[in-house]
Amino acid sequence: MTGDVCLSVEHVWKVFGTRPDKAIDMVGRGATREEVHEATGCTVGVRDVSFDVGRGETFVVMGLSGSGKSTLIRCVSRLNEVTSGRVVLDGQDLTAMSDDQLRQVRRHKMSMVFQHFGLFPHRRVIDNAAYGLEIQGVDKDERYERATRVLEVVGLKGWEQSYPQQLSGGMQQRVGLARALTVDPEILFFDEPFSALDPLIRRDMQDELIRLQETLQRTIVFITHDFAEAIKLGDRIAIMKDGAFDQVGTATELITEPATDYVQEFTKEIPKAKVLTTAAVLKPGQGAPNGRTVRLDDTIEGLLPALLDDDSEIWVEDSDGRTVGVVDRQAVAKALEPDR
Amino acid sequence: MTDVLQPTDVALVKEETRRSRFGWWWLALVAGVILLQFLVTSTAVPPLWDTVISGPIDQFATWARENRQIHPIFTSFFIPFSAAVDWGLTTIESFLKWLPWFVLPLVVFLVIFRTGNWKMATVAALAMVYPGLVGLWDTTMETLSLMAIAVLIALAIGIPLGVLSARRPSVERLIRPVLDAMQTIPAPVYFIPVVLFFGIRRVPATIATVIYSLPPAVRLTTLGIQGVPHQSVEASDMFGSTPRQTLFKVQLPMAMPTIMTGINQTIMMALGIVVLATLLGAGGLGQEVLEALSQRRTGRGLAAGLAIVAVAMVLDRVGRSLAFADRTRPASRRYVITSLLLVAGAIVVGRAMGWATFPEVWEVSVFDPVDTAVRWGRDNLSFITRPVNDFIVAGLLIPVRDFLTLTVAWPVLMLVTGFICWRLKGVGLAIFSVFALLLVGLIGMWALSLETLTQVLAAVVISVAIAIPVGIWAGRNRRVDAVLAPILDALQTIPSFVFIIPVILLFTVGQVPGIIAAVLYAIVPGIRITALGIRQVPEESIEASQTFGATPRQTMFGVRIPLAAPTIIAAVNQVIMMVLAMVIIAGLVGGGALGFETVRAVTRGETGLGFEVGIAIVVMAIILDRLTNAWAVRLQPPTPSH
Ligand SMILES: Nc1ncnc2c1ncn2[C@@H]1O[C@H](COP(=O)(O)OP(=O)(O)OP(=O)(O)O)[C@@H](O)[C@H]1O
Ligand SMILES: [Mg+2]
Repeated sequence: MTGDVCLSVEHVWKVFGTRPDKAIDMVGRGATREEVHEATGCTVGVRDVSFDVGRGETFVVMGLSGSGKSTLIRCVSRLNEVTSGRVVLDGQDLTAMSDDQLRQVRRHKMSMVFQHFGLFPHRRVIDNAAYGLEIQGVDKDERYERATRVLEVVGLKGWEQSYPQQLSGGMQQRVGLARALTVDPEILFFDEPFSALDPLIRRDMQDELIRLQETLQRTIVFITHDFAEAIKLGDRIAIMKDGAFDQVGTATELITEPATDYVQEFTKEIPKAKVLTTAAVLKPGQGAPNGRTVRLDDTIEGLLPALLDDDSEIWVEDSDGRTVGVVDRQAVAKALEPDR
Repeated sequence: MTDVLQPTDVALVKEETRRSRFGWWWLALVAGVILLQFLVTSTAVPPLWDTVISGPIDQFATWARENRQIHPIFTSFFIPFSAAVDWGLTTIESFLKWLPWFVLPLVVFLVIFRTGNWKMATVAALAMVYPGLVGLWDTTMETLSLMAIAVLIALAIGIPLGVLSARRPSVERLIRPVLDAMQTIPAPVYFIPVVLFFGIRRVPATIATVIYSLPPAVRLTTLGIQGVPHQSVEASDMFGSTPRQTLFKVQLPMAMPTIMTGINQTIMMALGIVVLATLLGAGGLGQEVLEALSQRRTGRGLAAGLAIVAVAMVLDRVGRSLAFADRTRPASRRYVITSLLLVAGAIVVGRAMGWATFPEVWEVSVFDPVDTAVRWGRDNLSFITRPVNDFIVAGLLIPVRDFLTLTVAWPVLMLVTGFICWRLKGVGLAIFSVFALLLVGLIGMWALSLETLTQVLAAVVISVAIAIPVGIWAGRNRRVDAVLAPILDALQTIPSFVFIIPVILLFTVGQVPGIIAAVLYAIVPGIRITALGIRQVPEESIEASQTFGATPRQTMFGVRIPLAAPTIIAAVNQVIMMVLAMVIIAGLVGGGALGFETVRAVTRGETGLGFEVGIAIVVMAIILDRLTNAWAVRLQPPTPSH
């Protein structure tokens, strides 16, 4: 992890049930979730998870249904109390805070966007968006002004006076997004925010989020069960299984060096040429450029035509224009090989 | 697969053992019945505890009467409390009478018109004028103010209690059984303890109304708040709301439609008992009805009865227009301001011109001819009413009553009741019912209870014989339903007491009018719930049956009715509870048995007797209610258990 750490999650456990100690003990001695449930009646939701999220980073947690993603994000935001472990936001230990302190942090530093939107049907769009400010006690004129601005940013200009249920699903989630952004939080939590939307709208919303993030540069923890979505949005991705992380890394790392078979299962389905960049197939070296150059962060897909055209080397430049190496057909073919 | 026993296998095995055991228990029951019938010759439990309960209570009542003005309990609590309620009553009443009469209809119109339904608004406003037209304006205002203050108190207690029980499971566990019990007890029973502490007249009537109408306010508030999606509450928490902010900004507003439904029910229940509270000398429309009927001024009784119906209809419509308003289209600010101005203007003009009281000239006396018509009806329709009367008395009441009170030995009755309770529900209810029945007998209420039970059984048999076929018909046939639904809707809002009026006009006093009124009152929910049950049967099950070539008749008896059975039994439960309530109320018009004793206890201040009667009624209500509920649950298709 480079740079400034915003959120730090340290050895978080969450066990549902009345005998968490026994459950943790059993897991420590190698018992599976089912065995623990059988023996203690407890469900292990999150099993010893640790990670850091840098300021401005988008950290995606990906896993199948029941893997504990929601439980994790709810522990991090303290909608659930952790069974053990710590969650530190900006140097403050969230898990040790009193209700009052937590309330202050929630008012000013964090927001959440929910899978089923969690909008308030009795409030107009603008009052939904301004809810966080209202709770903080911001006066009416100011909160309407700020909410109006954010609604415009998320593309809801003109809908301020409608009620949420008069909007389509995609637009409702835009309201959810606006509501989260209006308080200008440092960190945003997304729990499968686009899962309830149909595929085209989901793609629109992903693009919208990428666009917003370019200007906002917020710290984001994003939950999804869709690997393609994870790759599209995440700076780093954690693959979660049975309450624990199997692997954490960039999309390229997950694809090129999957730590477990489970991780590889997901990467199989992914069109690698679209995800991997030149960096993944680079042979470091210096030489005389022959006029055929690509950038380090170009996708492999982008250089395929040139490679197929002509078998000679293609030189790779970094963002400052310095030559850092070459790519050739063999390297690309190896990277794209289906079963690695 | 390992060869674990599947849940269905387990169920089959259990079924098997239950079957075989069932046979043995039946034999044991029959043997027990024969044995007891031979051993015990008495048909009533000896009233050994005749004064065990009534004695101390009567003493206390006497003491209370003598010390009402001096003892600190009264002077520091009951008297100030009564005074406050009385002050509220007087204030509201004089305010309503101070308002020019056309203001209320105007408000009714404006509130309903807000939803855009001008026809309904006009009809309701006219209904609000009606009591004035028949010279009952002031009486109606008395009833309305009694009701208003009772509803205000009920809501002031009920809504916070509902909120509390939604947030604290422990509170809910505590008050749920109390509310359950409160809803099974017939209204007049509430009068008995109230009289003991508050005496008679308007204040105790108010208190009884508050108690009776409290449950829906609590229940629906709890229900509404628990029904708010978890996510909305969490979203609110995530913005750093305090619990209070979440309650007022999210939970209460989102629960509002349900809470409004609760308020509507509270109002309707309050009206139902306020007209009965005439027993406590509370005045108002109920008293008007009773007096008119006892003086044989039938037309006037009918007029007052219709005034109750009109008020019920207006209140229901106003309540619904508030509860089911479309929230995405709130009343425009202009509409609200215009309405307020209109009302204010009406008040100013009305007061300035001295138009406060309903104009005398408008009081039409169309009801004198009604007297004649009813008298004619009573004399000339006897070819119908007489056989009906005779059939009910000679065909149902007398044989059943004689069988219960003259033939069966009392332990046999207890044994059989206990056995049924045990089979349907479990040992707990069986033990409760045996001891409760024993208590009823020991305090000397055995014969009266059996007489009331006889009336209840008769009315239930008739009601079920009408309600279930009609309900099935309505459930099958959209057109029948379309005709019936609005009628049933309207009937359901009418207070129980009103049902007695038309019956008594035709049958004079006695047991039969009470039974017929009970039938009329009870078939409404009976039909509705049955129709609902039939309609709820999944279309797939019907189609599955049809693809096997089942005739409509086979589909009906093989699929529809069995699948609807739990709901139909729920309808029977409702019928029984309403019949019981009505049979007690019929005590007012010569229904006899426990109902009559209740009336006597309340009006003559025989509090000890009142408590004994109350115990008997409550025991009967609880046993009948729990039994039919257990039966309905039993008919439910088994759900897989974890
Ligand atoms: N409040 C709770 N009490 C008991 N068990 C719970 C609770 N919440 C979650 N669980 C259990 O924890 C496990 C993880 O659930 P979680 O909701 O975190 O999964 P998820 O990865 O978010 O799945 P999904 O994609 O379906 O949302 C599940 O087995 C679930 O049954
Ligand atoms: Mg989830």
